[in-house]
Formats: sequence, structure tokens, C-alpha cells
Amino acid sequence: MPDVYNWQIGRTMAYPYPEAHPRRQFAAVFNINRCIGCQTCTGACKATWTFSRGQETMWWNNVETKPYGSYPQHWDVKALQLLDEAHQAAGVQPRWDRGQTGERAPYGVYNGLTLTEAADPNEVVLGYLPTDAEWRYPNFYEDTSTAYPGGPFGLSPDGAALPEHQAWFFYLMRVCNHCTYPACLAACPRKAIYKREEDGIVLIDQERCRGYRKCVEACPYKKTMYRGVTQVSEKCVACYPRVEGADPLTDGVPMEARCMAVCPGKIRLNGLVEIAEDGSWVEAPQHPLYYLVHIAQVALPLYPQFGTEPNIYYIPPRWAPRPYLRQMFGPGVDQAVERYTAPSRELLAVLQLFRTTQKMIFRFEIEEGPLVREVAVNGKTWQMYNDTVIGFDAKGREAVRLSVVEPLHERPPERPNSI
Amino acid sequence: MNRHTLPIVFLVVLAALAVGLRTAPLSSQGLTITAAAVEGALPVNAVDDPLWQRTTAVDVPLSAQMIAKPFWPTAKVKSIRVRGLHNGQDLALLLEWNDDTRNDASLRVDEFRDSVAVQFPLVAAQPFVCMGQQGGNVNIWHWKADWQAALVARRTLQAAHPNIYVDYYPFAEADDNLYAAAYADTTYLTAEAAGNLLAMPVHASPVEDLVAGGFGTLTSQPAAAQNVQGYGVWQNGVWRVIFSRGLRSNESDDIVLTPDQVYAVAFAAWDGANGERNGAKATSQWVSLQFGAAAAPTAPAAPEAPSAPAPMGLPLWAWIILGVLGLLILLGGLFALLLPDRT
Ligand code: SF4
Ligand code: SF4
Ligand code: SF4
Repeated sequence: MPDVYNWQIGRTMAYPYPEAHPRRQFAAVFNINRCIGCQTCTGACKATWTFSRGQETMWWNNVETKPYGSYPQHWDVKALQLLDEAHQAAGVQPRWDRGQTGERAPYGVYNGLTLTEAADPNEVVLGYLPTDAEWRYPNFYEDTSTAYPGGPFGLSPDGAALPEHQAWFFYLMRVCNHCTYPACLAACPRKAIYKREEDGIVLIDQERCRGYRKCVEACPYKKTMYRGVTQVSEKCVACYPRVEGADPLTDGVPMEARCMAVCPGKIRLNGLVEIAEDGSWVEAPQHPLYYLVHIAQVALPLYPQFGTEPNIYYIPPRWAPRPYLRQMFGPGVDQAVERYTAPSRELLAVLQLFRTTQKMIFRFEIEEGPLVREVAVNGKTWQMYNDTVIGFDAKGREAVRLSVVEPLHERPPERPNSI
Repeated sequence: MNRHTLPIVFLVVLAALAVGLRTAPLSSQGLTITAAAVEGALPVNAVDDPLWQRTTAVDVPLSAQMIAKPFWPTAKVKSIRVRGLHNGQDLALLLEWNDDTRNDASLRVDEFRDSVAVQFPLVAAQPFVCMGQQGGNVNIWHWKADWQAALVARRTLQAAHPNIYVDYYPFAEADDNLYAAAYADTTYLTAEAAGNLLAMPVHASPVEDLVAGGFGTLTSQPAAAQNVQGYGVWQNGVWRVIFSRGLRSNESDDIVLTPDQVYAVAFAAWDGANGERNGAKATSQWVSLQFGAAAAPTAPAAPEAPSAPAPMGLPLWAWIILGVLGLLILLGGLFALLLPDRT
């Protein structure tokens, strides 16, 4: 297998195809802290792409309640267990070497095996095929928290407090990660899966697919799905007509995907980032996704150790136990939580851009405003400024303008219920 | 290399050579299937037809596909018993193999069909036996147990998922049975709209006619060019499947057969219960297919003509050279063993 460079694990890794990169990459940041679990995203995708016969159990977008919920059931536990077993068999202790962090290895170097490296010698990728039954309950364990260890009935008499809640759950919203090194693509014996040069979107060629389900077996995130009615597999298409700017609403500029644009929790920011020939993100400090992932480093990949270099990034939930978050998002978690909890002036401004326009934002600018608040966060003084952030579309036109402090109007006391 | 290891190396080489010499004739290479000549219609839908008894069955050994990943060391089907009939117009092949379970569905994500395939080279030489190679296309006939079952009754979603309940499918035609309602616009059946033969709602034959030129290049021939017939039954742990097609074909991706020639042919089988699909299969080597001369309709099966030299077999002189080589290596090894150790 040729070696490819995966910056999320800070090293080269084995992959069946030589390194090649798209010019731009479909990417998104999901802010777990703000998700209200409303499933509007899930419904929007279903109502757009998967409402037909044979797609009944297909949820290209799903939101599951961690730690117990998962769709298909136990996908994460099963993938992690397989990897654990492979590490044991190989006598490898998977570790992150944080001493080697650098520009091309922001999270350090992962010294364990990735899914292509841990594969059985007969296979290309380490994986498993979920059973039919495992796709049944997309929202099983909804809102189920861990038990409060100290109180009767698992209830806490003291409520919950940061930095870590004792009884906790959080939502994990998932779409296909349009990975840089897709496991689905690596495993397809027919090369029916391809990654588009223009936007890095990973698609299954519906004419060439023969329903072998090797991709369903290989994708650790289980985001390719088999449609028995047509005998082939399907997956999230990243709403590519919108990304191409084909929707008349945006006047020819790239538009956020459906699940991204509908989010009432305003947790999602979707865009296209420029990719250099070596696979790194072209430096663009004014691009909101570049800023969040590479400068503020508050948004992290999900299970980077799988080695697929996923392109959906998560701002981890502040209240969940750190060890749980670290196994999920890697060693960058502590810093990400810390920075998100007391955001810098710039980060706070960029966070306002989430879900404010359907157009993809390619650049932002900040106009400075006055200091409006000063409080203590984690024992340190934190200052809030009412800055204004402006987002620009692909053609450099202003798409949105927001202030950190939302405009407020106070109704006079004699008109409390006026409409 | 010291003097102790030298004889061991010699012996290993010798053993390898001996194994090579022994298994070559025992492997499927060199086997010849003779399609017996009969008059009149061929029993293309009758596995028990007495005409099949006029043929000599050939057991073609299969082995696990270990050339292209995914390798499949646990391939279940070990051999296929092949018989052939022709009437000067059509060819029919009867394939029999053991399979404890009948797997004739592929609607659920975790169910895989049983299937079997016949492969012919489309070039004069023998291309690579696994799916052919670039510049060496092969014509593949792939019989599928679920397509066979669908000819009687297509498996329904309700059968696959007994508790299914759907309110309605947007854009489906009105139908008493929602789960079988047609779509006027196949956009919503994406693979069908893309022209994928597998996704078509009906197949006239349980056999798919394909062309390939190397791993990953397998391509269905267009719907109008699907001209291989088939029929398969499973009974008491045995699949019996008949393939039939006219000897001639005008299509460039089809094998054209003339009874006075000998053809290479290969077989593969998949056990759905073992999760077998794509390269996860058991395959044969190239074997020969020849056509028996026309026989009187009532005469018992003509004694088998001496098999034509298998095109892939080694000529006698090559065997002699190999034998002499082997002998020399054996003597060399013994000599080295007997030499006094000077160290
Ligand atoms: S998330 Fe899965 S389906 Fe999507 S590109 Fe990555 S490996 Fe493929
Ligand atoms: S990007 Fe589009 S296709 Fe993918 S999950 Fe979201 S809505 Fe569905
Ligand atoms: S629409 Fe947004 S807030 Fe609602 S579940 Fe989806 S990601 Fe969460």
C-alpha cells in the first residue's frame, strides 16, 4: 500500500491509493454545545433525499444521544472494539505523542494503527457489516443520560455544574464525513466510489455499484447504506447541487447543504476550504472554517485514529467527562473546551456566523465594537465586546452581518402582552 | 548458506516441484467438458431431463479467490459438476454444486445471494482467469438465486421486514399495495434511473450477461443485449443450474461458439450464507469445452472422444524436461547431504 499523509494523525499512513487531493473540500463545523436534539436536520435530509422505497431505514443525517445512542446500533463501540483487538493482536499500545505537535501535526502523532493498517491481511479495511436489525432505531436511547452516581434514583440533589456534569449526555449529529481518505472508497473492489476533484464530495456511482456492501462494511462511521430495492448502496451526497450553486436562490454561489441550512439550534457552519497539493488546508485566517479548525482549534475530527481524515469537525461539549471526549475527538479536546468556554474576541465573533445565511461563507471580517461585559470564567476575567462580524459569499459579496450582542427591544410595562 | 542448510533448500525446491508436478494434472487445468450433441430442443428448464444423463459429468475443482483483495480463504464451494449439451444451435450447461442453505434474497443489508458464473475468453489466447485482463476481455454469465426466485415472486419488503410500516412514498403511483407501487419517474430509484441493470424491477432471465477486462471492470451488458437464459433449483443441499444461449451472437462482448472448436471456460461460485459476493468466491482454472459430434437421436451416449489436447496443458517434452530437472535437483540434494562437513 502506498503511504499518504494524514495531518489529523500527524503522520503518513497506509492507504490503497496514492495521495491525491481535491482543489476544494466540503467541510463543516458542528457545535455540539448548542444542539437541541430537534432532528430538523435529520428530517430535512430525509425529505430531500431518502423518502422513497428501499430507503426506509436510511438516515444520511442522524442525531444520536451519547453515550448510549448510536445508529446503526453500537457502530462506535464495535469499530473501537475491532481496533482494540487488532492492537492487542499486534502488541501495539495506541498512543498520541503530544511532544511532536506542529503545523502539520496539530494534535500530535498517533502511534496506533489506523483502520487500513489494522486490516486483516485478506481485507483492505478493518470493519464489520451491521446487521439488518441494527439499523432499526435511529434514535434509541434518546435523551438518556448516565446515572448520577451519588443519589437515589440516579438523581442529583445539587443539580449540575461545570466543568464536568456527573450525570450527562450530549447529542452527536452525524453525516458522511466526506473523508480525505475514505474507507468506503478504499474498500470498494469496483472503484464505484469516487471523491470529486472540485469539492472533495464522496459519491457512490449508482451505475457501477453492484451492491457488494464492502463500503458498508468498511466505513467506520457507517455512512454508506444498502438499498435492497435497487440492489446498490447509497450515501449522503453532501447536497451537491446546492454546493455547486445550482439552486436559483443563491444566485450561482455555493449554498450550505440541507441539513446544515435548516438547523434551528444554529450549530452548523458548512463551507468549502481550499486544499493545497500536499493535502493541507491553504492558509486562510479569514475563512471561518479554517479559523475554527486550524487557528482557534476548537473544532476537532471525530475518531481521528480511524485514519480516514474526516471533514466534519466538532466543538466538543463542555460538560462531558474529558476521558470520554478524548477517546472520541483525540487529544485536542482539553484545549478546545477551554478555548470555547472562554472564547477569544475573534472566536466569539466567528461563532455568530453559524446558520445565519444559506450561502456558504468564504471569508469573514470583524468590525470592532465596545466592551459590554466583564465576568469571571474559570477563575479568570473574561471580557465580551460587541463586535460585528460580516460574512462574504464565494463572489466576495456581503452575505450576512451580525453583532455579538443581539438587538434587544424592551416593551413598555403597560403593554406586556402586545403583539 | 552453510552446508547444512543447502540440502534442506534443495529438498524444499524438490518438494515444491513435486507438488507442482502432481497437482497440475489434478487441478482443473487439463479438464475437458464435452457438450454432447443431441437433436431437437435442449432441456433448458429441466434439470432432471434424461438427456442430461447422456453427458459425461466433469467435476471441476474450485479454490478460494486469493489474487485480489478481499481474499477469501474460507470460500465454501469446493467443486462444480458440469455437464453440457448442444444441438448445433444452442448450448446448455448444467452446473451442480453442494450448498447446505438456499440463499435467494438480497433485500436486507445482511443477506447475500447464492450465485454461480461461467466465463469465456473473448480473445484467442487465455486471458487471466480471474476476470480477464486489459486487452483480454472475458464474457461472464452470472446466475443469481434471487433473480431466479423473483421470476416466480419478487421478494417483498414486507417479507424482508415483517413489521414494516410506511405511510406513503411520495411520487409513487397509487396502488393497493404501497410496497409494490410503481414509480413513473425513476429518479427516486436512483440506480434504476442511472441505468444500473441490477436495479431494474424485472429481469427476463435469472442470468446476467457481462463483460470484464480485469479486476473491478465487470460491466453488465446493456439490457437489450442480455441473451443468456437460465434456470436453477435447490434441493436437498444441492443447487442445479442450467445456462443456455445460442451458439452464435452478433454482440462483440459475447462469446461466439462453433462446434468444431475447443474453448476455454472457467467457473466461480458464491455461497450467500457465507457472506460471499464479488471477489469473495471460489473459482476454477480454465478448463476446456468441446462439442461432441452430432449423434443419432436414439443412440446411447457416444463414447467420449479422446479429449483434445487442452490448450493450456504442457506438451509432453516440457513434462520430460521438468522431470529430468527434478531428478537432478534430487541428486544434487542427496549429494550435498552426503558430503562430509568441512567446517
Ligand atoms: S464517512 Fe464513511 S461513507 Fe463518508 S467518506 Fe468517510 S468512509 Fe466514506
Ligand atoms: S449533506 Fe445533504 S445529503 Fe448529506 S446528510 Fe446533509 S442533507 Fe443529507
Ligand atoms: S437541526 Fe441542529 S439543533 Fe436540531 S438536532 Fe440537528 S444539529 Fe441539532
